[in-house]
Order: sequence, then C-alpha cells, then structure tokens
Amino acid sequence: VLPRLVLRRLYPLAIRICEYLRLPEIQGVSRILAHWACYKVQQKDKSDEEVAHAINQKLGDTPGISYSEIAARAYDCGRTELAIKLLEYEPRSGEQVPLLLKMKRSKLALSKAIESGDTDLVYTVVLHLKNELNRGTFFMTLQNQPVALSLYRQFCKHQERETLKDLYNQDDNHQELGNFHVHASYAEKRIEGRVAALQSAQDAYYKAKNEFAAKATEEQVKLLRLQRHLQEELDKPYVDLSLHDTVSTLILDGHHKRAEQLYRDFKIPDKRYWWLKLSALATRGDWEEMEKFSKSKKSPIGYLPFVEISVKHHNRYEAKKYAARVAPEQRVKALLLVG
Amino acid sequence: MAAHLSSGRVNLTALREAGRRELREFLDKCAGSKAIVWDESLTGPFGLIAQYSLLKEHEVEKMFTLKPGRLPQADVKNIIFFVRPKLELMDIITDNVLREDRGRAPQRDFHILFVPRRSLLCEQWLKEQGVLGSFIHREQYSLDLIPFDGDLLSMEAEGAFKECYLESDQTSLYHAAKGLMTLQALYGTIPQIFGKGECARHVANMMIRMKREFPGSQNSIFPVFDTLLLLDRNVDLLTPLATQLTYEGLIDEIYGIQNTYVKLPPEKFAPKKQGDGGKDLPTEPKKLQLNSAEELYAEIRDKNFNAVGSVLSKKAKIISAAFEERHHAKTVGEIKQFVSQLPHMQAARSSLANHTSIAELIKDITTSEDFFDNLTVEQEFMSGIDTDKVNNYIEDCIAQKHPLIKILRLVCLQSVCNSGLKQKVLDHYKKEILQTYGYEHILTLNNLEKAGLLKSQTSGRNNYPTIRKTLRLWMDDVNEQNPNDISYVYSGYAPLSVRLAQLLARPGWRSIEEVLKMLPGPHFEERQQLPTGLQKKRQHGENRVTLVFFLGGVTYAEIAALRFLSQMEDGGTEYVIATTKLINGTSWIKSLMEKLEPAPF
Repeated sequence: VLPRLVLRRLYPLAIRICEYLRLPEIQGVSRILAHWACYKVQQKDKSDEEVAHAINQKLGDTPGISYSEIAARAYDCGRTELAIKLLEYEPRSGEQVPLLLKMKRSKLALSKAIESGDTDLVYTVVLHLKNELNRGTFFMTLQNQPVALSLYRQFCKHQERETLKDLYNQDDNHQELGNFHVHASYAEKRIEGRVAALQSAQDAYYKAKNEFAAKATEEQVKLLRLQRHLQEELDKPYVDLSLHDTVSTLILDGHHKRAEQLYRDFKIPDKRYWWLKLSALATRGDWEEMEKFSKSKKSPIGYLPFVEISVKHHNRYEAKKYAARVAPEQRVKALLLVG
Repeated sequence: MAAHLSSGRVNLTALREAGRRELREFLDKCAGSKAIVWDESLTGPFGLIAQYSLLKEHEVEKMFTLKPGRLPQADVKNIIFFVRPKLELMDIITDNVLREDRGRAPQRDFHILFVPRRSLLCEQWLKEQGVLGSFIHREQYSLDLIPFDGDLLSMEAEGAFKECYLESDQTSLYHAAKGLMTLQALYGTIPQIFGKGECARHVANMMIRMKREFPGSQNSIFPVFDTLLLLDRNVDLLTPLATQLTYEGLIDEIYGIQNTYVKLPPEKFAPKKQGDGGKDLPTEPKKLQLNSAEELYAEIRDKNFNAVGSVLSKKAKIISAAFEERHHAKTVGEIKQFVSQLPHMQAARSSLANHTSIAELIKDITTSEDFFDNLTVEQEFMSGIDTDKVNNYIEDCIAQKHPLIKILRLVCLQSVCNSGLKQKVLDHYKKEILQTYGYEHILTLNNLEKAGLLKSQTSGRNNYPTIRKTLRLWMDDVNEQNPNDISYVYSGYAPLSVRLAQLLARPGWRSIEEVLKMLPGPHFEERQQLPTGLQKKRQHGENRVTLVFFLGGVTYAEIAALRFLSQMEDGGTEYVIATTKLINGTSWIKSLMEKLEPAPF
C-alpha cells in the first residue's frame, strides 16, 4: 500500500499509516520523507533557499535519511545550488565530499574534508585538485589551507621529493629547504655532488638565520674534503666517519701528527680529545705513547681515566703507574681498581 | 585465553570478541583455502586479537610477509593482503599482483583487508597502476584500540607522535576518535569529556561530529565509563625521558616489551635438570608473555624495583611450604587435595623462577655504576638542580661515546626541565653530538627541536620550577616499599600527566588554572547527552571509572601510577588507560630520529 500512496504523492497519509503500523523510523517514515524530498527538489517554482529550508524543516535529523541522495537528485535536475545547500545537512563527510567534487565545487569539498578530520578524504581532494588546477593555482589553494598543505607535503616526502623543494621555496621556508638539501646530499654518489648539496643547505640555513646549522654544515664540508684526501693518501675508508671517529682511526693507525692537526683545525675541546686519544691508544696497545701523552701536560680529565682504561685492557702494570698520579679524592677508587 | 582482559573493572573481552567476530566474517567471505600476506607491523597487534588457530579454523593455510617480487608458491584459492593503507605498501602489492602468473592453474583470487580502514587514496593509486580490478573483496578491519590487559588499550600506532607533532598529520587522531566511537558502541556513551592539548581538542571535536553522523543509533547501553580524559603527550614531555623504576618499566627499558611479549637472554632460563651433563645452553632468546593472567606478575609489575626482592623471597617461602605439605598429607583425601593443587603450585613455582631470573638480570644493570650515575643526573635535573649549565657527566659520556640515545635522553631531559636551554648551552651540546656521532644526526636534532624536546629558551623564563612546585612533582620523602604517592614510580618524581589526572578527579582543574596555562594547548570540558533513563546513578561508595587516553604514547611507569591511584582507599576513581602507543624513552626518541645513510661511493 505504502509504495502506491507514495507514488500518488499522498505523503501525509502514508506517514500516518506508518505511525499506526508502528514501523521503525528507518523503514517507514524516513523512506517516505526521502521520497517526498526527492519530489520536492523537482519543483521548479520554489527558490533553492525555500526548498532547502522546507526539506530541512520536515526532515530534521530523522535517522535513515540520506541528504546526499536528495542532493544528488537535485543536482541531476540541474539545481546545483540547491544540491549544495542540501549537502550542508549531510553529516557524513564520506558522502558529502565526493558529491561536491562531482559538482565541481573542489574548494568547498576541500574545506569540508578538512573539517571532518578524515585525512584520507583530504588526500583524495588534494590529488583531485592537483589534476584539475594548474600548478600555480594549486599551490595557492593549498596555501590557504594549512592542513591540506601539510598533508600534501607528507605525500611529496614519500612520492615526489622534488616538489617539496618548490613548496618550501614558495613558503620561503629556508630552514626546511636546508633540511631538504642535507637529506638530498646523502643520496649523492660522488663527493662533489655531496658538497654541492651541502653548500646549498648552508646557504639556506644562513637565510633562515640558523647560524649553528650553517656553521655545522660548513664544518662538515671541510671534513668531507679532508677525509677524501686521507682516504686517498692512507688507502683506508674515512669519508662519512664522524670527526671523533676520524681522529680515533688516525690515532689507531699511529698517525699522531695528523690527529693533532684535526684537533687544532676543528677546535676539539681538550677534555674530549684526551678521552678520545686515551681510548684509541689503549685499543692500539700503545702504552709508551700513552705515557708520553699523559706527561705532555696536566691532564684535563685527571688520571683516574688512565687507571680505568688500563684495567679495562688488563694492564695492571700501567694502571699502577697512573694510580699514583690520581688526585687525592679519587685515589681510593683508583687503588681499588688496581687491586 | 583472555583471562587477563576480564580482570579489571571494565570487561574488555567484549572488545576482543567484537574484533574476532569481524575477522571471522571477513575470512568467511573469501570462501575456500587462503594464504595471508602480512604487513609486518600488523602481526604483533593481531596476535592479541586472534591466534593462528583461529585463522586455521577459517581455512588459512599459509602466511607470508609482504615484500616485493613474486608471491611464493602456495596451492590456495585465495590470497589476502592484510595491510595498512599506505602508498608504499600499495606499490609492493602492485608488484606482487603484476608478477602473478596468470597462466598457472588453479588461479588464485586476490583480496585486500585494509587495517584500520579503507583508503580512497590507496584505491585510486591501485587503480592508476591498473590493478584495482584484480581484487575481489576490498574491505576494512577497524582494529583501532587493541586490548592489552584488563585496564589497558593501545592502538600501537608507532608513528603517531611524530606525525601529529612534527608533520601536522592527524590521521592517527582520526583513528583514535573512531576507536572511541567503537568503544562507546560497546560500553555506552561517555557522558563527560575532559582534555588538555591541541590533539585532545581535535579528537573531542571529531567524536562530537561522528556522533551526529549516526543519529539513529541511539545507544541504549548503560554507560560503563563516567569520564574520558584526553591528554596530549606534549603536555608532559618530561616523563618518557626519565628512566622508569618499576619492575615492568625496567623490563621495557632494558629488554623492550612488544605486544606483551619480552625476549630475554637465555642463559638464566636454562632448565636445571640433574644428570643432563653435556646439554648445550639454549641459544634462542627466552620469550615470555607478561600480563595480569600471571598472578605473581600482576603483584610485582607495578612495584618500584627495590620492593620486588622482598616479595619474591616471601613467595619462595610460601611455595616451598606448599610443596612440603606433601609430607604431611596422610589421608587419601589430603593426598587427593594436594594433587589437585599441584598444577597451580607448579605454575606458581615456574612463574617465581622466571621472575627471580629476570630480577637478577635487572639487578645486574641497576647496581652498575653507569646506571647509578645516569640516574643521579636525571634526578638532579628533575628536582631542578643546575639545569641551566652544561653538565659534566653528559660531556664525559659524549667524550667516551656512550650510546647516542642515552645522550639524547639526558640533554632533552635537561632542556625540558629548564623550559629550553640557553643558546650557548644548546649549541655546545649540539656541536659535541655532531662532532662525536656524526653530522648525519643534524636532522634528528632538528626533529627534537620541533617536538619541543631540545630547544632554546625562547621566552627567557623557566616555568618548570613553578610547575614542579605547584603540582608537587618532586617528592623528597618517597617510600619505595610502601608508597603513599605516585612519585614512587620514578623514586621521587611524580609523572606530570598522572598528577593532572589525579587533580582532575580531586579537587578539579580549577585549582591549577595558572599552571595549566603554562602547559601547551587548550584545556576543555564537553558533555555528551545520554538518552533519558540511562543517567548513571552511582551506588554509594562505588568508584567512578575514568578512561585516560594518552595521545602520542604512554609509559609503563605512568600506567603503574594510575593503577596506584585506582587502588587507593577513598580514591574515588578507577582508571582504564588507552594510548596511541606503549613507549619508553628509547623507543620514543628513536621514532624521532632521521636515518640518513650515505649512498655508497
């Protein structure tokens, strides 16, 4: 009976019957209202505003109503504006957004997607926009929507790294540009390429007023060039070692003068240098050199480390020598270690 | 199987059951024999919902790891990909599908199960690669909040902190909101929502929005949770950096607990059988499951490690005495009773042996000089001492090239306890780190700065002392054996996040408005309408149930602290904990490190 009543547009009667039959809302009243609404959108005599309002009044938040379905119907009848107004009432962004895209309201679709928090939806709209708009307009649109911009950046990080550079350039984000070049430098197979990328990074960091990063990058370029020479001269891998490891390796191989040179050139703090040299000499088993070193000047790290490292390398004899020179407050500890 | 899930105030078995049901339904949809190709990161969490036996019941005959190239040979009718919706994984799947020999008979059907949800983006990607049509069933498995224990849920979303706080990608928050909706569908609408932080605000907004999406589904379930507290991890950056001092916390710090399992060095667990001369020591690490189903573990897991020894020795005496009973059993009835107790006693003895071994392993580390020195410096920082100068111990550790993560935890701790370091101090540390460990760590340092963990003091003011004093974060008179305050979990430091929860319950956040403003992000309260008739009428003396959701990670020490509050007499509130990921300082910092490996020259 109900379908026939609906076909004849006897909606109020149909609704009354549903209520009488105590049909659950979703099966009864909602479907009737949906039919009514779809009919209503075809009424050309009323304005979009009025129709949308009237429909919302009647339907409210009745469960089971798909506003997007009604909106789709309106769009099919050519009433795009009405469709958009109706879509405002659609709470499910998963329905709302694709329809807005279909109706070529991409920017609105983007706002709605962002509002929903569903990042997958945002990605979809963003990529749709990428295909639809020219580059300039696309970037401009993203500029106005920081959430979309961040997500697009994430996408580029994994899929289109070169575009990242353009995005950062557009933003004048020199800090990120610097990071970009640093990251890119590690993909370079030849030192010249590495250095070039690092120099771009350095420039970007200066523009970003990040003095520390700029200086550190400058230092790294200096180190890389030096390491390349060492590699060629000494026929051993040096490139990409940290400064610490570079100096340590030099000492391990007995190149003490070169190690001293790096210590001066890179202004390695005394304490760190002494720990480094001590450890390397012990590993090398060069106790003679260690003794010479320990007497070169007053140890900035005291003499307990000498005791500790000798014991660690099972050399009690050496440990005893240094125990005597340990400062009074640490003497007991030293003597205990020596046994 | 899931005894540990029903031990708490809220029975989380229902959640697990719902997960199992959804999985079964999907498997049955792909009728016939099947092989599952796994996204590796999913196997651990899935294991908490269903074991291989369930999969076998639904005709899963083989399981493979997702990797590029040709799929392995397997005579099955269906190949199902269990994957997260990530584009990188779609590329691998495409490779697998394109390399499939279409000439082979019988043909295999392809399906995809997206976890936790389908992605238009991924499907579009597959479409563009020309393989979308190859899949018959493309579904989603909404595994958001996974029950780990009777009072613990985790999403195990490893990248959540980095994505939300560094990359402005709030996808995991969307999943968190969805997870909360699922939880509410099973346990009732949560009437009160409190939150602190930007992410918390975002999740609450999405929850309210999502509720509107399904207005018809009036929830007729009586609400189990009274309150939801959403907390951003960046409201408390301090806690995960400090070394945890509870038994479970130390196990995680030293060995790493993955999906309730821990792998331990095997030597201490070799069976001590007499007359087994010549038997080799096991070389495989000893794998143990740690949850509340194990009585002894439930008793000691949240204690300060220094209080564990006495519990173990007491237990040893009780168990010995119980076994001695067999000599006293005289009647048949008594013997019968003894025998019936035997399995329980043997389990208890085995449990005791395991934990005695673990405790010994931990003790070796906690009694070492290095551990002591490290802890001393941590505690100095947390109590506010000398946080504004370069620290000698840290410098010495860098000079001796101690593990980088240890150094990073310490300098970040100092920075957080000083509301940022003076530029000179910060630059000094950074230079030391880059020169010692390598320039390649410059991007990691940048990440730490972005996250607020290692930065310069921009405002010129150090807020930490005020926060510390007002919230009583440093307690000098801590009692490790019989604690009376949550600060026992770090032997003096009360986790900031848990203090916030504690004060919210009593006397409320209005009392700490000023301090709350010093912490990042908005704080708010929302109420959700309950259908009439379901207003909760609490019985006299019945505790409130609060769900605390840590957005960005939570540590075992914080969980212990919340459990402590739950057990307090007249506490008034019992806590259930949810998080995007279970973390410790090491795994957390690791997730923020940028791996830069040079291309081979």
